[in-house]
Amino acid sequence: MSGPQPRYSAWSLLRARLSGDGYWRPLWGGRPLRDAYDVVVVGAGGHGLATAFHLARDHGVARVAVLEKRLVGYGNVGRNTTIVRSNYLLPENHYFYEDSLRRWETLSRDLNYNVMYSPRGVVDLALSDDDLSGMARRGNAMRLAGIDCELLDLAALERFCPELEPRRTRRFPIVGALVQRRGGTVRHDAVAWGYARAASALGVDIIEDCEVTGLRTAGGVATGVETTRGYVRAERVVFATAGHTGMVGTMLGIPLPIETHLLQAMVSEPIKPLLHTVLVYVFPGHGETYICQSDRGGLVMGGHLDGFPSYTREGRWDRLEEVVEGAIELFPQIGGVRILRQWAGTNDMTMDGSPIIDRLGYDNVFVNAGWCYGGFKAIPASGAACAALVATGTAPDLIRAFRLSRFASGHLLDERGGGPFPVRL
Amino acid sequence: MTPRRGTRVGPDAVRFSFDGRTLHGQVGDTAASALLAAGVRRVGRSVKYRRLRGVMTAGPEEPNALFTVGTAPAVIPNVPAPQLELREGMVLRSQNRWPSLEFDVASLLQAGGGFFGAGFYYKTFIWPSWRTYESLIRSLAGLGEAPGACNIGPVAVEHLGCDVLVAGGGAAGLAAARAATRAGARVVLCERDPVCGGELEFEGGTVDGRAGGAWAETVVAELRAAGARVLTGTTLVGGSGGEMIAHAEPGGLAGANAVYKISPRAFVIAMGAVERPIAFVDNDLPGVMLLGAAERYLARYGARAGRDVVLFASHDRVYASAARLAAGGMRVRAIVDARQPDEIGAADLRDALGRDGTECLAGHAVLAASGGRAVSGARIAPLAAPRQARTVPCDAILVSGGWTPALHAGVQEGGARLYDPRSGGFVAGEQPEWRLLAGAANGQFELGPALADGVAAGMRAARIAGRQPLTDPPPDGRGDAAPRGRAFWRSPASSAEEKRQFVDPQNDVTVADLRASLAEGFVDIEHVKRYTALGFGTDQGRIGGLLGAAVLAEIRGRPLEDVGTSRLRPPFHPVSMRSLAGWRVGAALRPARRTPLHDWHVEHGAVLESMGLWMRPRFYRANGDDAFAAGIAEARRVRDSGGIADGSTLGKIEVAGPDAAAFLDRLYLSKASSIRVGRSKYMVNLREDGMVLDDGIVLRLAPDRYIATTSSGHGPHMLSHFEHYRDTDWSGRAVTVTDVTEAWAAIVVAGPRSRDALRGVLGAEWEASLARLRHMDFATGRFGGRELTVLRASFSGELAFELHCRPAIARPLWEALVAAGLPPYGLEALDILRVEKGYLTTAEINGQTTPFDLGMEGLVGLGNDCIGRGLLERPAFREASRPGLVGLRAADGKARFLAGAQLTDRAAGSRPLGYVTSSVYSPACREWIGLALVPRSHAAAGALLLARDPLREGDVEVRVTPAVHFDPGAERMKS
Amino acid sequence: MTRLVCPFCGPRHLREFEFHKTLPAPGAGEFASVYERVDSLELSVEHWQHVGGCRGWLLVRRNPSTGAVLDCRLVGGGGAA
Repeated sequence: MSGPQPRYSAWSLLRARLSGDGYWRPLWGGRPLRDAYDVVVVGAGGHGLATAFHLARDHGVARVAVLEKRLVGYGNVGRNTTIVRSNYLLPENHYFYEDSLRRWETLSRDLNYNVMYSPRGVVDLALSDDDLSGMARRGNAMRLAGIDCELLDLAALERFCPELEPRRTRRFPIVGALVQRRGGTVRHDAVAWGYARAASALGVDIIEDCEVTGLRTAGGVATGVETTRGYVRAERVVFATAGHTGMVGTMLGIPLPIETHLLQAMVSEPIKPLLHTVLVYVFPGHGETYICQSDRGGLVMGGHLDGFPSYTREGRWDRLEEVVEGAIELFPQIGGVRILRQWAGTNDMTMDGSPIIDRLGYDNVFVNAGWCYGGFKAIPASGAACAALVATGTAPDLIRAFRLSRFASGHLLDERGGGPFPVRL
Repeated sequence: MTPRRGTRVGPDAVRFSFDGRTLHGQVGDTAASALLAAGVRRVGRSVKYRRLRGVMTAGPEEPNALFTVGTAPAVIPNVPAPQLELREGMVLRSQNRWPSLEFDVASLLQAGGGFFGAGFYYKTFIWPSWRTYESLIRSLAGLGEAPGACNIGPVAVEHLGCDVLVAGGGAAGLAAARAATRAGARVVLCERDPVCGGELEFEGGTVDGRAGGAWAETVVAELRAAGARVLTGTTLVGGSGGEMIAHAEPGGLAGANAVYKISPRAFVIAMGAVERPIAFVDNDLPGVMLLGAAERYLARYGARAGRDVVLFASHDRVYASAARLAAGGMRVRAIVDARQPDEIGAADLRDALGRDGTECLAGHAVLAASGGRAVSGARIAPLAAPRQARTVPCDAILVSGGWTPALHAGVQEGGARLYDPRSGGFVAGEQPEWRLLAGAANGQFELGPALADGVAAGMRAARIAGRQPLTDPPPDGRGDAAPRGRAFWRSPASSAEEKRQFVDPQNDVTVADLRASLAEGFVDIEHVKRYTALGFGTDQGRIGGLLGAAVLAEIRGRPLEDVGTSRLRPPFHPVSMRSLAGWRVGAALRPARRTPLHDWHVEHGAVLESMGLWMRPRFYRANGDDAFAAGIAEARRVRDSGGIADGSTLGKIEVAGPDAAAFLDRLYLSKASSIRVGRSKYMVNLREDGMVLDDGIVLRLAPDRYIATTSSGHGPHMLSHFEHYRDTDWSGRAVTVTDVTEAWAAIVVAGPRSRDALRGVLGAEWEASLARLRHMDFATGRFGGRELTVLRASFSGELAFELHCRPAIARPLWEALVAAGLPPYGLEALDILRVEKGYLTTAEINGQTTPFDLGMEGLVGLGNDCIGRGLLERPAFREASRPGLVGLRAADGKARFLAGAQLTDRAAGSRPLGYVTSSVYSPACREWIGLALVPRSHAAAGALLLARDPLREGDVEVRVTPAVHFDPGAERMKS
Repeated sequence: MTRLVCPFCGPRHLREFEFHKTLPAPGAGEFASVYERVDSLELSVEHWQHVGGCRGWLLVRRNPSTGAVLDCRLVGGGGAA
């Protein structure tokens, strides 16, 4: 790689226009794989890249590599429905996700890369008084933790989201909503690319097409990783391979409380602005649809897991239909809008629905995993906290509850009360 | 003017409007053909640079001519004009322009040129925040109008089982369907177009000596006569798990009148191929069209793409096409063939064309389209000497870079993708054994071989489906010679000109964008796609996907085979959401479960509430205007005299057999084996992780026969739970599990008068039983000639009975009870009564609470080795920070506090300790009361806490009380 | 194709079935069988229920990388009764 990264701004665009070709530089890469690192991060998804970025920026770790089997941002960071929020019930979760949301607010500036954080609000729709009580429980916990959120009655919901026509007759009438206004969306690919660029500028080696195939240990300590490009020595190793963490457990001979499931997303053809917020609609009979409209104009939707362990990344057609059913029930007017594309990501589903950031089997091996539905929105906080754990050896308060031993001790973080059954509806 | 003639148009005129102009087409026209015939060349603008665009294709892959159809509010956006059948009075509007197509303000931004290259938005709009710019950018993006309403009618969903599904009714698909049908297979054939035949319709070839179109009609007739389903106007859009989905969206407008869910034993993909464009400068000007599209418009609609045309291709078939266009009255000025003279065949055709004044150029390329707002000429030069360019005047440039097999269906669920050197692109490779490819979709672009391929596929498919096909000689097809093409992707251009060489017109992706993407390190095709939006358009990458990959390969100096194309995602064609939702819309979104007493409730003013799929009375209007007032009135009346409630939604599972008792001992925290016959017990299930799963009453009907009741919401899940353990741990043991939820209606009779009223209603034969029943006893007998079980149990704290009866007698029994002076009460009152007594519902049994949390230490202490028992012993579950169930009242005895309020100690800024699970206004206590989960450290009766509810009520000081608020000695229940 | 062949009901679409859980390694204790998962790219051994059909519980062996169903039988052993 030649020359430093130009700083991005409107002026740089103008300068690039005037100076012709050769002004822009690759965002990352260009450096060869070295034979030893202070920290090797496995997986160039959002969590791996953010961890590497914070190791280099906050902790001054000089030699950091991110080894990626395929491509930067090819996994879930580029496959999700782009929603960010911190509206969680359990304090361990809402403090963590709120830390993340605060970082989303300034991330474009911190990375000098526009990740298009759009605080358009995230609305959970309530269909009964019981729903509302449950939302009040969650919302009150958030408010007492200093996190924004409001309970909307029908009139307030109508003002906030008139396009929804909340009073319209529906199979399951809407009775109110919980809204977090600072929640919203972020352009997913930009997050991977922005972190990769910023980490690379700090000296992190990002190596694509380099699959880690094994961990080498000596005397109970990890000494490095075997890769498809040869052995790489490492003082510390971080696995940030959510979606494939179960395989890491198998590789290390440590069974993990994680199952791998597919989660689908889908997008319609672009239309002019219609929906100005993010809606989450959960209804009886296994119904779930979340929907927002991308800046490009497509209606982006998702719903339940496909419902059984899978690595195929090929979604179920009947799940696509179910998600769309929910969307049509919310917005009958979009019946003529067409679905353009459907894809799937592989989710690490833990047995209590909350993540794991902890040591794994060895004192110098770490795992950042088990993100369930929350991986994308967690990236900034996860990267910062995971880097702190790896650099200092001590888990920051923010992630202390995300330890692996909680399943054995019973300190579970079961946000939904679903127990050790990721797909139970 | 004389009407146009074509295979699909009739002479009668159809009036329509385009951007406010009234125009006329003919019956059978599409919007695209009618506009072409009317001389309308500019039909839209591109989304980013707002460049003027014309019709480019004759299929659903159309990137430019997308219209918003209809009048507000019920518009349908982004309808591809080539698919849209004209109807009288149809209103069409072009997209991406303001205020008009001819003058668009945003098009002035084009002056910014390179400023707005791929990914520019990642580099700016950072200060002060993206939100500042977002709404402007959103309003500029987004193609068609957002609909305000939708007029699409009902959608029929048909499930079809068949031996062989054939997708595509062109030559190969028809041959496959016929071969399979002749082998005795049950066949379903889907064809996207309104008629079968595909290219047979215009290619001018013959099959078995008959004109192609006529042969297609004969085959369709034969298929139908043999019982095959031939679904025209029906597009295969996706599927999974062996079920393929086809949608019929008539007239090209969204909203199917039919959705077919087809489960075949074998599946033949014969979905044809898509013609490739070639990148040259300004190749997006109105007047640049795919050659095959021009042929279709001419043959089907008699519409000419231009008067004077230049053809630009790199295969032999262009000469046959030129001859047909010339025969149709178009002047073919020049045929520009990028191949060298020694690669080119079709000598006879070229000679003939030359004699008629067409210039046939080998080793040449069209460098650029000239013209300001539409094509006025083609700039042509020898590839060896691009500077020696000259301009040939013309009004259309018809392009054909070869064909790419339709890949979408063949690369899903286990289909491989292969590089095909013959076509210079990719074909679907090895397939799962039930899926076959045929014809152009299989890389067979010549009529004869395509028919043979179709027959072979049809016979193989029939064999897979278990039929024995006879050898059936393939039809004798004679059409255009093999294309013998060489892939040619783009003409030479300077670096500045590359900004106007479009590879994906809808998203304005140019060769320069691909170069910029590479310069910034986005090299892999998946990265390039995400960075430039290549292939993200409504054509799903059909136009630009492969071309972009090929140009990328050229720039990188790598073979296209290595570069690959990005993964193709379902659906195979864009499909409207209304069609996807099928019949599950509105009231049919989910079925409603109704109790046998539903009609009575409705007739008597009940306000119903959904509880899962069940509909239950929340309150009765006669008792108050709203739920609050009516609930209080109904609850008060139960305590004062009595009332009845519909409990039919309770889950009921019958467990029987010699091992039934032992089986239930395993499923419940306390022992079912210790229940005596005729008695019942309140019992609790644990989940495998030790949390409380559900609670209910278990009745022992006989030594080997029990009924276990579950909460209404958990019924279906508990049934599966029972069945799971029956079939796993208990497999081979003598126990049966039967869902009897809907075999029994349940009427709850509660209140001091309940026994007396029951005596009157049930009559003398029940007198003794009623007198005998102690709390948790039950008796069985008959009422109205049907079975009835009367269980003395109470969820209200009153003397109460549950009447489990056959549904047929539920209403007479209910009405008799009402007549006996027991009025109905609903869920609101039920909730008041149970909170007064500290009984639990899903508000407390929420999957997060252990039996210790809920005050069931006594049950755990019994030591029954049940499911979940082992993991209940984890250390955290015994910690003092775990919650315990308590009662709550306002410290001042007056204030209201609500379920969902968080509980803290009274010091400012304290973190929540617990929360209010349930709260009601209690008519019996004459104040607000609640249940709560708070740590044992704070659970002492009399402790003061703050109920904090910033979302609704603010802060209320509350006092911890025992969970039982009313009648702690349970005197009333035992009376 | 990824249809499940129910020993009682024959080949049926996946929507009729509900996945319950993956099975622990043989001999796993209670904690391991509730919480720990054996993850393999080639083989997943699972319990499913034919909720939309005979309601039988099925022991299903699948390849989670391809979606292919390798085997589907009644949990209690045996094929169709």
